[in-house]
Amino acid sequence: MAKLLPRDPVGRGNRFLFGWIKERFPTVPWADVTRQSVETVQRQLPRSHTEKYELKTVWYWYPLYCLGGISFIAFLVTVITGIILGFYYVPDGTDIFTSAGIPTNAAKLSVACINGDSDCPWSPVPFGFIIRGMHHWAAHMMIAAVFLHMCRVYFTGAYKKPRELNWLLGVILLLLTLLFGYSGYLLPGNDLSGGAATIGINMSKASPGPPWLGEFVANLLFAGTDVLTANYILRMYWFHVFILPLVGTLLMILHMALVWVQGVAEPH
Amino acid sequence: MELELVRQRVFEEKPGFPRQYGPDRTDRQPGQPFWPHEVYRDLVLILLMVAILFLLSAAITPPVGPAKDPTIQPFIVPDWYLLFSWGLLKVAEIFPTGVIPDPLGNGLLGPVSVDTGFWGDILTSLPVIPLFLLPLLDRGREERPAKAPLRSALGLYLIAWIFSSSLYAINNLVIEKWPFIGGDDTLKWFFVIPPLYVGIASYVGLRRLGYREMYWWRVIPIGVALWLFSVQALDTFVLQPLDAGRSLGAHAATLALPQIQGLAFIVLMLFAVMVVTFYAVTFLDERRARALLKPFFVVWIVLFLLVGKFIESTQPASFDFILHQTIPSMHLLYGAPIFVLITAYVGLREPYSAYEYLLNECYQCGKCHTACPVTKVEDDALGGLNLVYNTFKKQHDGVPLWTCLACDACSAVCPLDIKYSDYILEERAKALAVGPPSGRAS
Repeated sequence: MAKLLPRDPVGRGNRFLFGWIKERFPTVPWADVTRQSVETVQRQLPRSHTEKYELKTVWYWYPLYCLGGISFIAFLVTVITGIILGFYYVPDGTDIFTSAGIPTNAAKLSVACINGDSDCPWSPVPFGFIIRGMHHWAAHMMIAAVFLHMCRVYFTGAYKKPRELNWLLGVILLLLTLLFGYSGYLLPGNDLSGGAATIGINMSKASPGPPWLGEFVANLLFAGTDVLTANYILRMYWFHVFILPLVGTLLMILHMALVWVQGVAEPH
Repeated sequence: MELELVRQRVFEEKPGFPRQYGPDRTDRQPGQPFWPHEVYRDLVLILLMVAILFLLSAAITPPVGPAKDPTIQPFIVPDWYLLFSWGLLKVAEIFPTGVIPDPLGNGLLGPVSVDTGFWGDILTSLPVIPLFLLPLLDRGREERPAKAPLRSALGLYLIAWIFSSSLYAINNLVIEKWPFIGGDDTLKWFFVIPPLYVGIASYVGLRRLGYREMYWWRVIPIGVALWLFSVQALDTFVLQPLDAGRSLGAHAATLALPQIQGLAFIVLMLFAVMVVTFYAVTFLDERRARALLKPFFVVWIVLFLLVGKFIESTQPASFDFILHQTIPSMHLLYGAPIFVLITAYVGLREPYSAYEYLLNECYQCGKCHTACPVTKVEDDALGGLNLVYNTFKKQHDGVPLWTCLACDACSAVCPLDIKYSDYILEERAKALAVGPPSGRAS
């Protein structure tokens, strides 16, 4: 009888539930492998030059080595605030006219509600202006940090062997960041959005090459070649919230993985 | 083992030397663990950044503005990071336009219409192409900016160029605010001349920092700037009035007008500072040039500001006239003197600080100490001495100034090619040139 009793009757219920899950989705070995790989000495952050040689002198450029990290953190802030904004934003640029005959559109009205402006036709979003402001300023901070990060890498010559590939990745990320900013300020459907989209259409139509190329690019990005259609906001929305984040995040992970593997380049 | 003992005595506990050797090393990656060391520090910085963002967004709400209007074309200014592209699109009108005909005739490859938008696209992609090619063209190992002056100067040139094109994007606003600027052409010259000033001045300064041969790098840029300035001044004062069809006598009469005299005085002051600088860097040795130019620059700048203030307060009409005459050619009339001042300053900086900069590269590997024969006999050098580092820090004189044999063994083993014995010889020469210490009059 005693042999049949479990040694730990209290833990049985716990094990029953988690055991049921673990039998079907065995996470434990994977967690162990992950922890081992993180905790082994080979996977720790490589020591910096200063730490390795126990230097007493610290190079005065070192504060500039945090710029890549700052741009990544700013990116995370834009992701979080962008997810919140996505609940309230309406990607519809169709021109509608108020009773006074003033043109407006749903995108602009939804942004007015987020901002808590007086022309909001629906209920205003609580603290929406803070969320939108953080999205705005974090985007500016990200772009500025990316520019300065690139300057730092250039002036310290950190793009040289074996980091050429990472430099090329970084240039692509810079262009993606600019596209992020551009597609972002086309979304609110205001006058800046309309004017910038017109410039964008003209520039894509003028793509160096035969006419069909420019027309294809303009149609793809702005849903129109000659006049500004309402759909450009939807196209830019798709770029801004799906394509650019997907490609950008993947490349950022690659970029930082390469830094981890190769170590930080420190000029002597 | 004797060898083991020797190795322990030489290498053990010395920074930069691993304590174990061969494939059995266990201290291969003794880094800081990410958790918790790095995470704590990063968390503080991240929270600080988020706090700054909160503060910014609470204080300055970005305005939305009116909705887009399909009937009107609004005047817009893009965000700052796209201004350069907008400026390049605007300046593209100076390029020739036309149509490249279709080579096949089936519309697959052409016709390519070469218009303003075409040139705008090409110009916008121009700064990107060198960025892609950079790691393939510039090889070698990473270096400080001062050790690669050409690369650094090119980078600063490109940054200045991007600033210029961003400025051109808002040319309407600039011309509206400062109508005497002389129109679009003055702003177009911003693409060419100021970036060159920035690039050349920084190249000269970085060469100086790297302790390279300097003479011609001071004389030629300053001389060319002086020459361009003289041509421009001649054009403003003599050629343009004569071209306008005036006789020499009438021209002489206009030269007596008070506003013309004020203009001439300002231009002569600018000319004077350039001529004196050119004379100093060409005919004087460095020390004398520094001794002459340092007080001269200070006095000149104060005098120039005072004269400008005086004319502005006593003769406002003359002041306006001077502005209208000089601002359209400001790239030469004001840019060249500023360029000369800065180039002379960075090109003539004291070499002692330059040497200190070179010694600063030392990362205390200690090889110089191991190689130095003097440290084997000097009693106070038997401890953890490090020639270059200690000299740089002035904590210990390294090998004392007059005991060094200048055998260059330290430079031969130095992984960074720091020329320690050059430094010692230079210091000795300086000590001798200054003369014996006071009390031993000779």
